[in-house]
Amino acid sequence: MLGYLARRLALAVLTVLVAVLISFLLVHATDGSPGAIVLGPGATPAEVAAKNAELGWDRPLVTQFFDYLGHLVRGDLGTSIIDSRDIGQDLATRLPVTGFIALFATILSGLVGVFLGVTAAVRGGRFGTFITSSSGVALSLPVFWVGILFVYVLSISLGWLPATGYVAFADSPVDWAKSLLLPVLALTVGGAAIVARTANAGMRDALQAEHIRTLRALGTPAWRIRYVHALRSTSVPVVSVLGIQFIALFGGSVIIENLFALPGLGQASQAAVSAHDFPALIGVVIVATVVVVLTNLLLDLVVAALDPKVRTA
Amino acid sequence: MSVLPLDAADDVSTEVVPPTQRRRGLPAVLRRPGPAIAVGWLLLVVVLSFTAPLWRPYDINEQDLANRLSLPSGAHWLGTDPLGRDLLSRIFTAGAQPLLAAALTVLVAFGIGIPLALIAAERGRRVEQVISRTTEILMALPSTIILLAVIGVIGVKTYIVMAILGVLISAAVYRIMLGVAQSVRQRLYVDAARVNGLGSLRVNTVHVLPAMATVIAVQAAQLFGIAILINAGLAFLGFGPAEPNPSWGIMIQDASGHVYDAPWLLVPTGVVLALTVVAANVLADALAGKAAHVKAPARTRKTAPVRVVDGTPADPAAALEVRDLTVSVDDGPQLVSDVSFALQPGRVLGLVGESGCGKTMTARSLLGLLPDGVSVSGGSILWQGRDLVGLSEKQANAVRGREIAMISQEPMVALDPMFSVAYQLIGPIRRFRGVGRREARQVAAQLLRQVGIVDADRVLKSYPHQLSGGMAQRVCIALALTGQPQLLVADEPTTALDVTVQAEILSLLRALVRDTGLSVVIVSHDLGVVADICDDVVVMYAGQVVESGRTAPVLDDAAHPYTMALLGANPHVPDGVPMPTRLASIAGTVPAPGSWPTGCRFAGRCQFTQDECTVPFPALPAHGEGSVLCIRVDEIHDAGVRWHADRVGAETAPVPSAPTAGALS
Repeated sequence: MLGYLARRLALAVLTVLVAVLISFLLVHATDGSPGAIVLGPGATPAEVAAKNAELGWDRPLVTQFFDYLGHLVRGDLGTSIIDSRDIGQDLATRLPVTGFIALFATILSGLVGVFLGVTAAVRGGRFGTFITSSSGVALSLPVFWVGILFVYVLSISLGWLPATGYVAFADSPVDWAKSLLLPVLALTVGGAAIVARTANAGMRDALQAEHIRTLRALGTPAWRIRYVHALRSTSVPVVSVLGIQFIALFGGSVIIENLFALPGLGQASQAAVSAHDFPALIGVVIVATVVVVLTNLLLDLVVAALDPKVRTA
Repeated sequence: MSVLPLDAADDVSTEVVPPTQRRRGLPAVLRRPGPAIAVGWLLLVVVLSFTAPLWRPYDINEQDLANRLSLPSGAHWLGTDPLGRDLLSRIFTAGAQPLLAAALTVLVAFGIGIPLALIAAERGRRVEQVISRTTEILMALPSTIILLAVIGVIGVKTYIVMAILGVLISAAVYRIMLGVAQSVRQRLYVDAARVNGLGSLRVNTVHVLPAMATVIAVQAAQLFGIAILINAGLAFLGFGPAEPNPSWGIMIQDASGHVYDAPWLLVPTGVVLALTVVAANVLADALAGKAAHVKAPARTRKTAPVRVVDGTPADPAAALEVRDLTVSVDDGPQLVSDVSFALQPGRVLGLVGESGCGKTMTARSLLGLLPDGVSVSGGSILWQGRDLVGLSEKQANAVRGREIAMISQEPMVALDPMFSVAYQLIGPIRRFRGVGRREARQVAAQLLRQVGIVDADRVLKSYPHQLSGGMAQRVCIALALTGQPQLLVADEPTTALDVTVQAEILSLLRALVRDTGLSVVIVSHDLGVVADICDDVVVMYAGQVVESGRTAPVLDDAAHPYTMALLGANPHVPDGVPMPTRLASIAGTVPAPGSWPTGCRFAGRCQFTQDECTVPFPALPAHGEGSVLCIRVDEIHDAGVRWHADRVGAETAPVPSAPTAGALS
């Protein structure tokens, strides 16, 4: 178990390093020139070269890489070449916005998805077919389209929620929650569908397992067979898919933050892409990778806690 | 959308389809309406998109300023956009790029993933480890963000970006394909092909790849849908074709700006995009065969029709009396016909016969645990004077465990792998005996010692996967004893165990009968087990009792030809007799339910069959309280003929001595 965790941890660190290397090489290996971007099309080659030198981009690649790593270890992600803001600080204020959206959407997807998937598996019949086929449709819908439909129905037609915009938690917790509700709901449609499918398949397999017959032969009450024994086996695939969902929602935040004008990580990455802000790009890749890697580690721990086969290995 | 939820990866059947069955797979999928419509829609979108310049009613930039943001009309079938441009023309003009780009992603992902999987599966563990670790890292990268970074550096170059997406996804493809490739390679025919001297490339292209076809098709369809969504998402963010060129993403972005004044704008593009992805997923599901039938799971069946049962037991001493029990598939053939037997307290009764003779169905009906779609359609099961047939689920639950308990064939899967032995024992102990947790734990340890487990405390803390087969079966027996039942139904309790462990379990059962006065119904195909432990035996053939009685007379002086045949086929050779070179077996197979002949059901395989055997015939008394179901029983007995095991032995394959000529190595 400890050896397993140590290996996962090593792989996690390696993954972050690879992400740094890939994004670093990507930015440097092509003829990306921050000088040209900062100074705009009017600048002369000499001016561009001078600017590049000022930004340290004329140094050997290896020097720059280890310089960057050195700063990274101290938590310094550098400054934007567009507006000189501290990238680390900027992303730190944005991380909670995206994080809470992804977290709430994951939790809601989990609750709704497990409820639907398990109910469909237990009740079966037409209801079961309806749930499985409609979740097949729901997970295919583009999230931005679903988001706009929700804006149309919930904000415009019914007027229940603000369409776009973000209110900081510190300003008004209630409005903060309201401003997150639509994005979370939009993300939950596909998320819950995927969880529902996983829970449904897991529950159906579990209810057909051989050991269920042992339980029935002991006169175990049906609720206990379903919601203690079968649900427990189902929990492992469901937790795994929830982890994948959280990661996916984190990545998908770019689109949802664009749609709802939320100041999160996704918005920052879109801005960095549009402006060719290279240091900001690398920063976003690193932060996103760290989130993925941490989520995966947490997932390993939760699965180990749930599954005795992993735990006692 | 970042981490490629190839969500079916886990539940898609990675079962390998043998080449002969595979051919019929694809068209069969299209015979069902859902996938047929999906394929139809995909074809329609592809054709309309790639031919759009030929048929579109308007040029994509032609502005009908008088009809801006119009609803569908005769002039504009799907309406117009904010500049008065025709939506129909623009949607399908925009279609070609996402379709091509998604296909490119799929091609790249599979072009990298499949060869890597084939190499890893072929080259052994070292290579596989290196490739697998590398792909694990690739999979843990946030792909959406990386794609955005690529765009940030190289600009909006859709095809390059989508090819890079393919590279990122290839890791997930590799993971799925590796599992399939490994299982294909484990199949005999691949190794046989190798022995035949086929080169590695040929083995892969001729044998491995075709067997992977279904999984590849499923994953490709699903990945195609995901790639279209990602492509549209990027366009939505403005990283797609630039104005005035249309793209699905930017058209939906446009619509979001007009959601107040022209919500219709959202519909046409969104529906075409959504339907295309839905179609890809429907197709993937259909290929995986999982959307096929969502079968209703176990539901409490309606109780069997109430029948008037003559409550007076024929044998007042019997604890269990099964009378004319008939079990059938609902609206289908009988599986068990008119089975009767009685069991006295403290005795062991064996149900024997080949597979498919209805032994297990008979045994499971005692607990009301028949599989879905199978139920008792006639007769009665009198348990201590009460008929168990037709009990409600609740009433049956009160009997299960408390009065009648069961142990099953495969102890390794009979325990819940997620819970410790202690948990699984303590639950029923508390329920049955109304004791607290601590006391229940003591009872559990005591039960484990009773079934011969010395190290009870360690076993209590164990999980099922940590137990050996024999140990697991002991735990199962302890579990069955938690409710202090009077009858134990044991379905092939030793079949899955090693020979030495079999003997231990049998002697444990014998000791339990002796010490606790338990009655046992034991299902077995092994006459050795029956001779070893049973007081009474019921021989079943094709759903009927063909012979019954005390074990000793039935086995020593079998009256029914089937019993004789079973005895002749029994590989338990007496000591001192050399093992025959040919194992005797009974020629032919048990006829399937629904195809049972009207007369003697064994007639087709019997050495003594004559014309009279084709008419129905009632059972005759035999072996004291037993019975025999054979019209010629007296003739055969009087003539003193024996079943000639060697006569059929000639028709069976010789006992394999050694694998023939390296082909299986």
